[in-house]
Amino acid sequence: MSSCMYIQPLLVLYAEGALERDEKQLVEAHLSGCPQCNDEAAGIARIRGWLADPELFAPQQDMAWRLLPEKLAARVRAPQVEQKRRFPLRFPKWAFSAAAVVALACGLVWMMRYRTSAPQLAGPAPIRAGNEAFLERMRTVYAREATAQYLNACQELLLDVMNADTTCGGERVDVALEVSRARELLRQKQRLETDLQVPEAARVRDLCGQLEHLLINLSMSSECESGDTLRDMERYIKKEQLLLRINLLQSGIS
Amino acid sequence: MNSMAQQEISNEPASNAAELMNRVQQGDMNAYQEIVRLYQRRVYRVISSYVRNPDDAMEVLQDTFLKVHTARHTWDKNCSFSGWIYRIAINAGIDRYRRSDRGRSSSLEDVMESQLHESATSRPGGGPMDSIRAGERRRALEKAVRRLPQRQREVVSLRYFGEMQLEEIATLLDCPLGTVKSNLHKAIMSLKAMLHAQKGVFDYE
Repeated sequence: MSSCMYIQPLLVLYAEGALERDEKQLVEAHLSGCPQCNDEAAGIARIRGWLADPELFAPQQDMAWRLLPEKLAARVRAPQVEQKRRFPLRFPKWAFSAAAVVALACGLVWMMRYRTSAPQLAGPAPIRAGNEAFLERMRTVYAREATAQYLNACQELLLDVMNADTTCGGERVDVALEVSRARELLRQKQRLETDLQVPEAARVRDLCGQLEHLLINLSMSSECESGDTLRDMERYIKKEQLLLRINLLQSGIS
Repeated sequence: MNSMAQQEISNEPASNAAELMNRVQQGDMNAYQEIVRLYQRRVYRVISSYVRNPDDAMEVLQDTFLKVHTARHTWDKNCSFSGWIYRIAINAGIDRYRRSDRGRSSSLEDVMESQLHESATSRPGGGPMDSIRAGERRRALEKAVRRLPQRQREVVSLRYFGEMQLEEIATLLDCPLGTVKSNLHKAIMSLKAMLHAQKGVFDYE
């Protein structure tokens, strides 16, 4: 029979099923007659069993955890929009030299024309887009107002969800009104979508994304929701500091 | 609300991940969300074996998945997706560990943390003795895993929390299969020795 000294270093791999056939046979033959190595193998099996515990290093599966895929997708989408808008402003290094050469050449051509040719009549002056600028300003003002109103309504709804206590029997809480308000706010958010795509609205867009997840969640709730679910939402609102962030953004917008 | 409670699928076939990644490479955001759902728990557990603070672990997890999207075109369909994502996660986890966790293993914070856990689990009406014991054992085991040397911890983490095969681990860590086997052996023996000392929690009778 093989010595324990040779067998024991193989026991972990034996338990893993990672030994070659001849080594495996050797270990099995030894184990059948060696209580000491059997104890060692049992100890290894226990450790492996504990390591296989699915709760080991497991996350706390709260609402933030469940919303992670949507949250990450929103974060991935946001910079894409900004990058697209920034793109025309990014030039390779050689572009500056090329621009300088072109400017110099244009200057020389202009100087030569000025010296050699007769003065020409000026062409029609470009029409100043005064109306467009005004409309753009109005659109910005309207977008700000609509966003502030939306955030305000969201804040009121979050407060009501956190304070909801009208029971409809047992542990369940009546949130019928909150559910319909959440649905309305989701429709409102869709209308805001275009305004939120401008780069300056990045922070508002991020917050609105989180609020939207919560609203989706709430809109899919039953009219008599369990207290646990509402507490889950409350924890999320507190953890993400949604009320505080709405306040900060509102003061920024106004 | 129930629809939000997405159940993760364990032991998902690798071909499914590959198919999803192909779609992610073509810009499909639904496929990206599906990849996150599929792997978030396993990747979190791997990261947690490096990063003790749950908030830090969540941040590293998010960084990992954001990196998956940024670097989606660098993933080669002939390579294992698990290997690729765990490489990203481990690198991010090691970085975080180096920056914040190293050298704090025996700090006052650690002592307070264990006392907090102890008082939380031993409060009256906290549940049956078995579950209290299981919780204590889990925490002691987590602590022991974090104390393993880096290569041993990598192998244990990828094998048990990342659910990878030894051959896949060897490819991922770019080392011979024999090295992976010997590190796994050493890791299990070290854990056995560390936990053997805690007879109150680990019953060796």
